Amino acid sequence: MNILIAARLAFARILATKTRSGLTMLGIIIGVMSLIALVSVAQGATSGIQDQFKGLGARNLTITGTTPQSITIEDAQAIAQEPGIEIVSETVSGRVTLSSNQASTISQIVGVDPDYKTVVDPDIFVGSFLPDVINANDARLIVLSTTLAEDLELDAYSIGSSIAVGSTEFTIVGILDDADGFGTRGTAYIPMETAFKYVAVPPYLSSITVQTVNEKIVPEVTKNLTALLKSRHNITEGREADFVITDASQILDAIGTVEQFLSLLLGGIASISLVVGGIGIMNIMLVSVRERTREIGIRRAIGAQQSQILTQFLIEAIVLSLIGGIIGVIIGEIVAYFLASLGEWNFALSPTIILASLGFSMFIGVVFGVWPARAASKLKPVEALRFE
Amino acid sequence: MTVVVEMSNVTKTFGEGTSIVRALDGVDIRIQKGEFVAIVGASGSGKSTMMNLIGCLDKPTTGLVKVAGEDLSKLNDKKLTSLRNYAIGFVFQSFFLLPKTDALDNVATPLFYRGVPAREARKKAMEILTKLGMADRHTHQSTELSGGQQQRVAIARALVTEPSLILADEPTGALDSNTGKQVMDLFESLNKEGKTIVLITHDLDVAKRAKRRITLRDGKVINDESGAA
Ligand SMILES: Nc1ncnc2c1ncn2[C@@H]1O[C@H](COP(=O)(O)OP(=O)(O)OP(=O)(O)O)[C@@H](O)[C@H]1O
Ligand SMILES: [Mg+2]
Repeated sequence: MNILIAARLAFARILATKTRSGLTMLGIIIGVMSLIALVSVAQGATSGIQDQFKGLGARNLTITGTTPQSITIEDAQAIAQEPGIEIVSETVSGRVTLSSNQASTISQIVGVDPDYKTVVDPDIFVGSFLPDVINANDARLIVLSTTLAEDLELDAYSIGSSIAVGSTEFTIVGILDDADGFGTRGTAYIPMETAFKYVAVPPYLSSITVQTVNEKIVPEVTKNLTALLKSRHNITEGREADFVITDASQILDAIGTVEQFLSLLLGGIASISLVVGGIGIMNIMLVSVRERTREIGIRRAIGAQQSQILTQFLIEAIVLSLIGGIIGVIIGEIVAYFLASLGEWNFALSPTIILASLGFSMFIGVVFGVWPARAASKLKPVEALRFE
Repeated sequence: MTVVVEMSNVTKTFGEGTSIVRALDGVDIRIQKGEFVAIVGASGSGKSTMMNLIGCLDKPTTGLVKVAGEDLSKLNDKKLTSLRNYAIGFVFQSFFLLPKTDALDNVATPLFYRGVPAREARKKAMEILTKLGMADRHTHQSTELSGGQQQRVAIARALVTEPSLILADEPTGALDSNTGKQVMDLFESLNKEGKTIVLITHDLDVAKRAKRRITLRDGKVINDESGAA
């Protein structure tokens, strides 16, 4: 019953003083809005990094020989029999002189099998990656990294023209987008079979890239493959292996750290704006309750209980901060949406953040609204009435 | 006859030690149902202090104050508040209407606090406003009413709870003499209907219209006369 009475009085009061109610809400709106926008920037930006990285093969691991004659085609075939492995891609490599009409440079040349495209998913700047079908004997096709194309003073229109690899003419089919990859700068790619003819000697490989079924089993597969290769290469306990296996876990760790830092940083900024908003609300509430001291005295004189006064202020504060919080969430999400389209990451509504902001704004409203009201309701009615 | 207010050997002091003020000093009075009493006295004589006790807004330092049969010193804040709501109808010098609230809800508010449903409370409030000739102003807020009109709304608010006693502190103090007279006419007619009225005033012309005058000086009752002056 008391709550109903107080709620009616609270709503009547909010409606009767729209400007003041609006001002009170403004602090909450700004605080919640910046919290929502900043946290969504933190989440969006880091999930962007993660998405990019997922494309770069969190479930891949790469076996590299420490000498040119460490790992072989037979190793690759044995690896393919292991559990948890989806694709095995082999590369060979060598260093040769590349010459265009304008310039020449010594470069790393990598021979890749058809699976390379699937496993590594290289980003093409112009043209295409090496086609599957022509990966037969003596297909003299080449893909250059952008860096290499620049070194050779070639532009986007060079697709289809030829350059010399050593003394053999190759046709350029594509140029890679270097910005998006690890370790592709300054590298050229040719089909595996062709590479065995011009730059490498079978059966030796320079690396084997393995794609596992999912990223969780990467450590386990790493262990298995290490054991397998050690036994194949007759490496006894205590001797150093002639290969290294690398996976993405270190890079993932690094990204996790960046993500945490970014969230902390932006969360910190958002908290400051919430505190500032909260102080604003506290000021308005304090002034408002002071102004209303005599009103409280009148109400007490005509029969309002302390609890009724307090409940009225409590409901006023909750309603104001809740409405302010909801408006803040809406504006914040709109801002977050535009920031997401500017920054080109995915916009996502986070129920946790929304509920947390609403909860926090209500907390601020209640604490700062009710604490002075409580003091006022405890005043002796005679004193409250005398208050000017 | 029912005794509405009873004060026996009441003292009220403010402050301590050498700066102690005896606002009331051994007051004994009884007010019966249906009386029309004026409390008069010079400034600082203790009128407001007495009104705060009769109005259950404060408790005596020593002595007994009984309002509507309840001993004030035995009541906690909650009971005291509810006694105010049920037993007293306040009329203040500067009206003290609730801000941002229309006349109708101003009058209905004491009933709201009692838990009367809104519709019923407003119906009752409207009846009283109609009786006091303020029906056409029931949607107006205090800022849109003249002093006399505000005091009428305040009197309606005091009447709405059907209290044992209407307590008015300088009800004409903020009004011009003509409007003040009209308010006194209203009190007079309410008293004729059987309402108990206690009013505090400086103004002897106002006091003359009451049926009984209690005069205070330095916190003591120095005169208590009944009948027309
Ligand atoms: N809260 C208080 N604290 C200290 N002294 C007080 C307080 N209230 C009243 N007094 C003192 O008690 C005495 C009586 O005051 P009271 O207000 O009852 O006088 P009054 O007759 O109503 O005067 P007025 O006609 O000016 O309103 C005065 O000396 C006053 O200073
Ligand atoms: Mg006074």
